[in-house]
Amino acid sequence: MALKEVLLVDPERCRGHGICCLLAPELIDLDDWGYAQVLKSQPLSSDELKSASRAVAGCPARALSLVQEGQKDQRN
Amino acid sequence: MNLLPSPSGEARYESPDSVRAVFLAGDAGARLLAGPPASAGAEGLSSHLGRLGAPSALAGADLVEVVAASGLKGRGGAGFPVAQKLNTVRVSAGKPLVVVNCSESEPASAKDRTLVRLRPHLVLDGAAVAARAVGASQAVLYLHRGDLRSARALDAAVAERKQAAIADPDFSVAWAPPRYVAGESSAIVRFLEGGEAKPRFGTRAAICGVNCAPTAIHNVETLAHLALVDRMGPDEFRRCGTPGFSGSVLVTLAGAVQHPGLVAELVAPVPASELLGVAGISSPPQALLVGGYGGAWIDGRSAWDSHIWPDALLQGGFSFGCGLVGVFPNGACGVRETSGILSYLASESAGQCGPCRYGLDHLANSLARLAKGEAGRRELKALERKAASIVGRGACSHPDGAVSLLRHCLEVFEADIRSHSQRRPCRAAHSDSVFPLPSQIEQTWR
Repeated sequence: MALKEVLLVDPERCRGHGICCLLAPELIDLDDWGYAQVLKSQPLSSDELKSASRAVAGCPARALSLVQEGQKDQRN
Repeated sequence: MNLLPSPSGEARYESPDSVRAVFLAGDAGARLLAGPPASAGAEGLSSHLGRLGAPSALAGADLVEVVAASGLKGRGGAGFPVAQKLNTVRVSAGKPLVVVNCSESEPASAKDRTLVRLRPHLVLDGAAVAARAVGASQAVLYLHRGDLRSARALDAAVAERKQAAIADPDFSVAWAPPRYVAGESSAIVRFLEGGEAKPRFGTRAAICGVNCAPTAIHNVETLAHLALVDRMGPDEFRRCGTPGFSGSVLVTLAGAVQHPGLVAELVAPVPASELLGVAGISSPPQALLVGGYGGAWIDGRSAWDSHIWPDALLQGGFSFGCGLVGVFPNGACGVRETSGILSYLASESAGQCGPCRYGLDHLANSLARLAKGEAGRRELKALERKAASIVGRGACSHPDGAVSLLRHCLEVFEADIRSHSQRRPCRAAHSDSVFPLPSQIEQTWR
């Protein structure tokens, strides 16, 4: 089940604290204005999932989440 | 319908000339704008029914099937299949709601309000058809605060329909702040829930819209076509348009034309040269602005012989968007114009998402510096990189649209860009903008 998870930033919640980038630098970069930018849109490996979970837990704005692939784009 | 007094007296997007419309590619084929001339104003109920007859008795899945067979796609910009949206609302749990999206937010576009003011019954018929398809008993007319002319046309039409005992959903009015992104579907949901008219990440209105009721939000032109599909059936409806995009389409002519805000109905793909001929343009302009402020620039000479039609433009990599066809004249500075539009889009950002809030302003300023000859090649490279970093990172597609316009600007006005980046300012860098850039009258989002 957990094999097809992707990392997602809620752009409305992200306040540019930048902690995620320290916790999962291989998955998240900060843009020119300090906001989180996910580097990998494909499902994460088990190692990547570990650091992604740390970033999700460490975000003070609760802007990061791990969701099943396919639920990526919820827009209508 | 209780028409609430508008809190602000003045409409922000009001164009000076009230309503203009022409019929193109043959009067016989005109559909939405067939009937009385534009000068006659809103068509009354008896004339409307006399021309088009009564709606069908179809409802629910049968009706959705007819809409699916018609191939009708949304006219609000995204071109989403209407039957698919209606069906999602129909089968989702909860008491469904229909929203008639009258909030035309593109400053240079006039087709939606022209349609509402000339053919209110066609739009309301469409709302009734949508309500029948999804099983809704209520429909909200979502209007820009201050758009009194549209409100009056709709109000009078609803009164006429009540008197004639037409089977309609209960219509109510919502006055939304006249902001650029307030007409985006998740912003509509949020506003109707009592919140701010700002987009919300991850909202699927058709499944969980207003207070999580399945909500069918449709553009007014889409609803007008839906009314026709209901009456004429799929085969007749498909006799207009192309296999990939059925029915007629409304376009607004803007910019350096005789009457900015002129609305034309196209019943088939038409060469840009023919369409612009209607607006008094007889030779290729410098460029065309298509789709809206989040749309694209097309080089004037290559656009001249190409066809204006949603799927034709899409094949060329351009979005038809809201049907805006803007003429950008020779001698004007496309770099300066684009920076003005980006600056407007930046001011209309809801300010919720960092990349949009800070990025758009940055792009606009950077481009303005370029036009003035104050930025070199290094800043140009940085501009391209920053623009790319913004794409796909907003709760809505507002920033993506701005970047789309910027990218087309860098391509179409490439010679100017090259010259400006060698610190040669544009001679037209300080001239007035060609397209309207409304200043913010209302700061509020509620």
